[in-house]
Amino acid sequence: MPRGDVTALGHTARMVLVANGRDDVLALLRHGSGPRPRFDPGLAGGLRAWLEDAACAVVTARGEDAPALFLGPRRFFGAPASADVDADAEPFPPPLVTACLVHALFRQIVTTGAVGDPLRDGVDALSVEPSRAELVRHIGSLPEAEREALSASLAVQVQHLIDLTPRFAPGWLPRTHDRLAIPLAGGRVVLCGVFDLLVGAPVAGTSSLCAVGVTSGGPWARARRVLHYVALLETLRSGHPPFRLALLHAAAGRCRVEDVWEEHLGAVVSHLVQRLSEMAGAHV
Amino acid sequence: MSEDVAPGGLTDTLLAPVAVVDAAAWHDAMAGIPEALAGVAGRHPGGGPCRLTDFHIRRALNPPDGGAGVAPFAWSARTSRRALGLAAVRLLVAGQVRSPAQGVRAAVAQGTSWVRHQGRPLSGMDRWLGELPPAARAAVGADAVTWATRLWGAVDWTSFERAPLIGRDHWWDSPHSSLLALRGRADVRAGAVHLVTLSGSRRASVRTELSVVALVEALRSRDGIMPGRVVGWWPDSGHLVRVEVEPAVLKKGVEAVEAALRWGHVRAAA
Repeated sequence: MPRGDVTALGHTARMVLVANGRDDVLALLRHGSGPRPRFDPGLAGGLRAWLEDAACAVVTARGEDAPALFLGPRRFFGAPASADVDADAEPFPPPLVTACLVHALFRQIVTTGAVGDPLRDGVDALSVEPSRAELVRHIGSLPEAEREALSASLAVQVQHLIDLTPRFAPGWLPRTHDRLAIPLAGGRVVLCGVFDLLVGAPVAGTSSLCAVGVTSGGPWARARRVLHYVALLETLRSGHPPFRLALLHAAAGRCRVEDVWEEHLGAVVSHLVQRLSEMAGAHV
Repeated sequence: MSEDVAPGGLTDTLLAPVAVVDAAAWHDAMAGIPEALAGVAGRHPGGGPCRLTDFHIRRALNPPDGGAGVAPFAWSARTSRRALGLAAVRLLVAGQVRSPAQGVRAAVAQGTSWVRHQGRPLSGMDRWLGELPPAARAAVGADAVTWATRLWGAVDWTSFERAPLIGRDHWWDSPHSSLLALRGRADVRAGAVHLVTLSGSRRASVRTELSVVALVEALRSRDGIMPGRVVGWWPDSGHLVRVEVEPAVLKKGVEAVEAALRWGHVRAAA
């Protein structure tokens, strides 16, 4: 059993487990090798129907010919740490730069288990994505003092991630940056999200996956809700949510693990419906 | 043609019996298509040879806003993940590796080994991979692992009577015009059924795009065997689109090729 403390958090009084190292995280994610939980087969359909109604209201308000509306966590839960930064004035606020590098380095840790020079490796990893070219140029143009501060921050966060990220056996099928895009209202509203890490083999009719999220800053509660949101998208994609979620806070070096419950998914859907209704109202 | 949201049904969709098409109607539909395509190719705005791929078809059917041009191709994590991912799935299905991560590592190692030892003609991707620093190569590998795992996990590979072909794109070279070649991209081919992994948003043109895959199969067929079904699959959402091949599908495919040739941004053969 993991050494971590067991803490009850949140209004649902479900257990959130605190993991103190990568062995704890692995043990909590493994959760024994017994049968995985089964969810109501009608759950995904019910959640989708609820969302479809709200999405159709948005389409009605925007007009049938409006281009597809792609909505991600930022639209539903606000921006993370950089929320108070004017994007026009500063297209790459420091928290965003750090977050992008930390996520790139997390992928490297999962893939290879090691990081050399964090800043150099992070920039190298981002450089193979043309969509990150501007960010890479920005990092390259930082004054020496800012680069040193960034490098020092990354070194701390990377060490935390190395300490907390399990070494998954190949059979766990670890895959990073797994994108989800769930169309509603005939594709005119698309809910988007990304799993930082997904492990486990899909098994028909069973919740067999675990998801790991990484946050490099910002409110813990927001990061947790975003992880619940992506779990909802997985439910809509495959019919089943991941059965367990881990959230790694790279800056603080802590990790909490929790089961996914129908209440989590229902709470997220309720929030999305509320936000979609507000969007629809804003167009009327 | 139909669409559903049953991700667990991908294997069933691939294995479902293929509808029988009347041979005479099929023969009539095929008559004259190669000649007609060659004629259109000879008149296309850019002149010169054109090798049409799914990319050109997609762009022609969904022109970018403001008539933006086509960015030149460059290798990246995004453009290399399919090739590496397919190599990994091929190794997995053959039982040579035990996980997508091992498969991708093997594929990357093979390519970069060729670069180091100059043992055989290098592909552009191998050269690119060989020149990347380790962290960049790890990022490329991570993207490919995710791509491969999604495909590997979505299909029950033990269900096929004969091992499916994985990742073999088919080209049709026009016998009537040296100017024209068409590529049909499919990630898994099981008999007369072809699976195409799709990315990007769901779009109204997707059935037409998949019709071109059926058209290429029909044009390549030397023994009159008809393609049966083309299945499009979005891993991001789990949606499937099925195109049951019939004469009307061929017509749609021809129209798509004509649209791509008219679009005029088809690159000349390298």
